[in-house]
Amino acid sequence: MIAEEALVKELKQKESRAKAFEVLVNTYKERLYWHIRRIVLDHDDTDDVLQNTFIKVYKNIDGFKGESKLYSWLYRIATNESLTFLKQKSKKADISDEELKNRMVENLQSDVYFEGDEIQLKLQKALATLPDKQKLVFTMKYFQEMKYEDISEVLETSVGALKASYHLAVKKIESYLKED
Amino acid sequence: MKKDKKNSFNTPEGYFENFNERLMGRIEKEVHSESIIPKSDGFSIPENYFDEITPKIMSKTTGEGGKVIQLKSYRTFYYGAAAVAAVFVLVFGLNWKSTTTVAFDDLANAEIDAYFESNELDINTYELAELISLDNVELNDVLEQDLDAENILEYLDETVDDIDELNLDYSDYE
Repeated sequence: MIAEEALVKELKQKESRAKAFEVLVNTYKERLYWHIRRIVLDHDDTDDVLQNTFIKVYKNIDGFKGESKLYSWLYRIATNESLTFLKQKSKKADISDEELKNRMVENLQSDVYFEGDEIQLKLQKALATLPDKQKLVFTMKYFQEMKYEDISEVLETSVGALKASYHLAVKKIESYLKED
Repeated sequence: MKKDKKNSFNTPEGYFENFNERLMGRIEKEVHSESIIPKSDGFSIPENYFDEITPKIMSKTTGEGGKVIQLKSYRTFYYGAAAVAAVFVLVFGLNWKSTTTVAFDDLANAEIDAYFESNELDINTYELAELISLDNVELNDVLEQDLDAENILEYLDETVDDIDELNLDYSDYE
């Protein structure tokens, strides 16, 4: 994409960096927010991780080689930041990753920024049972409506494996939702 | 039309080439149309969140929180401010030098523990060994050689202030 290439060029030049970075933030803040939110669930935590993601992007922009697309590089950083955040959170609370996921879903019931009904809460419980990567594939495809080719670049997994993973996730979630 | 050698059935041109694509498309359609999975996941955000987040990020990265400040017109004030700041640093620096030096020992153990807890250092045994200086101790000296009494006494003599406090029985070594 020519516009993306031009933006990267401006980001690497000191004189145009600040302005180009503002364009970058405005272009990707919403998409990255929802990507992070679906991993960490809580709004305040998402806000922290989103800011950390952009700070990391700003600090490392010179290291961006342009071998992958800019947005997939941003998504990769956001994904890593989110997963690292959760790992540190479970370590601090001295609980397992599974226990943390269960607590995160339980906390949604009292979260003012979660307006989901019973079925949406059950969906989150179902998602908490999936392996990290399967959950990522599902949310990126189902809610963010990303193309498999784009998800493939972000998660560095083949399109075929992603499709299989997605359909497995759908089956698991559906059977969880059908349970009483 | 393509003819199968073993039977007389035909398939349209290119039928098998794009079969997978068509099948996946159909599966996807069916998954979405018949799925009991809700279309929305119920998350919401505070009002104006996305308007407010950009200046926050900008101030933490580029240092520009939205408003553009003209540096040029304030240049003269900066020299004055710098001079005043320098005087303050000098005065307070001289007065407080002896009392406010913060050393590594001043850090509470809890803070150090918390740092190691929250930061994944991932140091393996070899890296750890590299960090620990063994300049004055040869590991093999300790592992392979027996220390004789004379060396022990010599060491104690050099390092312990009052050797009598150790209550050693000198008769053994005389």
